[in-house]
Amino acid sequence: MSRMAWMGIAVLALAPFALTSQYLVNIAMLTAFSAFLGQAWNLSGGFGGLTSFGHTAFFGLGAYVAALFATRWGISPWLALPAAAALGGLAGAVIGFASFRAGLRGSYFALVTLAFAEVFHVLATSLDFTGGGQGINLPLKLGLANFQFVDRRASYAVVLALLTLAMAVAFRLRGSRFGARLAAIRENEDAARALGVDIVRTKTAALALSGAVTALGGVVYCQTYLFVDPQIAFGVERSVEMLLVVMIGGAGTVWGPVLGAIALHLVADTSRAWIATPGFAPMLYGVVLLAIIGLLPGGIVSLRERLRRA
Amino acid sequence: MTNSLTGIRLTRRAALATGAATAATLAAPMVARAQPAAIKLGLIHPVTGALAFSGAQCRLGGQMAIADVNAAGGIKSMGGAKIEALLGDAQGKVEIATSLVDQMAEAGAAGFTGAFASNLGLAATTAAAKYNLPFSIDSGIVDSITTRGLKNVFRFFPNLSMTIGGAMPALDGINKAAGSPAKTAVLVHENGVFGTSTAKAVADGLAKIGIKVLGTFPHATPTRDFTNIVLQIKALKPDLVMMTNYENEYVLAARTIVQQRVPLMAMYSVLGGGFNLKFAKEAPDVAENMMDFNHWYNVKDPRSAAFRKRVEGAGHVLTWEVPFGYFAVKLLADAWQNAGTADKDKTVAALAASTFSDHFMPYGPTKFIDGQNQGAQAVALQIQKGDIAVVWPTEFASAKAVFPRPKA
Repeated sequence: MSRMAWMGIAVLALAPFALTSQYLVNIAMLTAFSAFLGQAWNLSGGFGGLTSFGHTAFFGLGAYVAALFATRWGISPWLALPAAAALGGLAGAVIGFASFRAGLRGSYFALVTLAFAEVFHVLATSLDFTGGGQGINLPLKLGLANFQFVDRRASYAVVLALLTLAMAVAFRLRGSRFGARLAAIRENEDAARALGVDIVRTKTAALALSGAVTALGGVVYCQTYLFVDPQIAFGVERSVEMLLVVMIGGAGTVWGPVLGAIALHLVADTSRAWIATPGFAPMLYGVVLLAIIGLLPGGIVSLRERLRRA
Repeated sequence: MTNSLTGIRLTRRAALATGAATAATLAAPMVARAQPAAIKLGLIHPVTGALAFSGAQCRLGGQMAIADVNAAGGIKSMGGAKIEALLGDAQGKVEIATSLVDQMAEAGAAGFTGAFASNLGLAATTAAAKYNLPFSIDSGIVDSITTRGLKNVFRFFPNLSMTIGGAMPALDGINKAAGSPAKTAVLVHENGVFGTSTAKAVADGLAKIGIKVLGTFPHATPTRDFTNIVLQIKALKPDLVMMTNYENEYVLAARTIVQQRVPLMAMYSVLGGGFNLKFAKEAPDVAENMMDFNHWYNVKDPRSAAFRKRVEGAGHVLTWEVPFGYFAVKLLADAWQNAGTADKDKTVAALAASTFSDHFMPYGPTKFIDGQNQGAQAVALQIQKGDIAVVWPTEFASAKAVFPRPKA
């Protein structure tokens, strides 16, 4: 990528800091957050072809770690970030090892991840420890030490830092031996095995990495909205959103999740802001989704290639 | 005529036109003073998605209140300032509710009302607290909405503790009046914040009035088939089924109970989301004699009958969400009237000191402690002959409870 392109991206990423509108900064934050979660999913789902329907399990674990740190244990919410990453990574490793050891792949693996997320959902609903279905409210204590900000630009800075981290991981993955093994598994698992790639180990490591990164998102979400319940943490909608962002942008590519998030939020937020008719905004969102999936099955990233060919 | 300073020739017609324009310009501030700036009020509800019906009902009530305040001359202490509605669809998502608060705050909102569901209310009130903008809760029952120490949040209506606190004595009273035939119950509740909190409190309350809980059945929202749950309930043979869920699940579960011919003394729900006149009219065979401890207006107040006629006359169904939306806005309007300004700090102070009594809910004048109106209460209702009757407490009752219900 040219230096000009990098500068353009940097300007675009930093532009929200110049905005005075908290609403617009919030939109930018939500877009960056979607891109981050999409990229977290993409690390295993896109680069490794490990299509997961239950990534919200990692997100939810991160959110509950933050909530419990703040309300039950009185530990700094900043420490929830490494703790959540460790727990998300561990959960990814356990789920991955159990699934891949049993030889599950494709739609079977997708269903297993969905089931794991549902198990967490049921646990969070049933246990008093997690507040049950009532969830956990975090007290409003604004300040850097408490990871709570009045100015949305501060929240955006945190999310941008996370997105940058996820992008860095994606770049590193793409150019690494590990990434090459993962891509080989995605393209043809049997051939990769024949070439000596340790399938279970590689796929488990990819899911653990993705789980760790996704869990960070849960912490940031919880610290932003100060409330978590089982549906928010482990509801299937979150998994679908992660998957959608990647599919729309382009799975297995570094920039796909970013482009997908921008496209989806552009449609969703502008239509919601400008069209008051109830139901019209979600309907328009659905139509645009269908159009992108129908016209660009390789995601928005593939548009450049198509234009070059044309 | 030529202006000696500019040298521009001025005709008589031009001079008259200029004079008129000047007079109009000079008069403009007076006109502006005569029409004070509108007070912008953010209405945040889920009007699409799974909670769309209830959210739209709250919005309807809010819009009716705004129309009434404006038709009556606006906020008189502010020179007749009109209220302007800023409408937002939260789509049932916490992130969108929060985003709407930001958007409306920047559009100049002086206050908010909403947000029907408890989780939306929790998120939206927190976001509004960052601006210290007043938030009048129109629905959203969990206690924590007003117990988190947010100074900007006010709830005219009863919270969960108050509602449950009234529901069990009401059931006990109805049961004892019939000779205490009901000994057992099962609970069916949605597994979110609202349903879980309520079911837990109901289970505790039932133990205190000597009714044994045989089983508890949480379910997701949405749930599209209750057959398995109902068959399990049938096997337990309870005297009462107590549901706490949203509109669609409430109706579906009740219908399935009737279809499966579960022999019951009563279905007594606490905050049954689907217990309303729409249900009573659309499924009379299911709804008849069902009981619910829920929000309702004082049917003995003549203003309530006129309100109902007005809502139904406009082609809507009167559910409790409509007066909730209505009075949440009227409460804010009253605070603006008392404060004489839409300044956020003064409005919050006016709300905290509010003694709002121009309403037809069974509450009395408002008295807020930590944002919760202390006089608010729900009542026991029963569908009788296709209409909703208040059966408890006796001071507000319009009919006697039919309990146990006649066997089919």
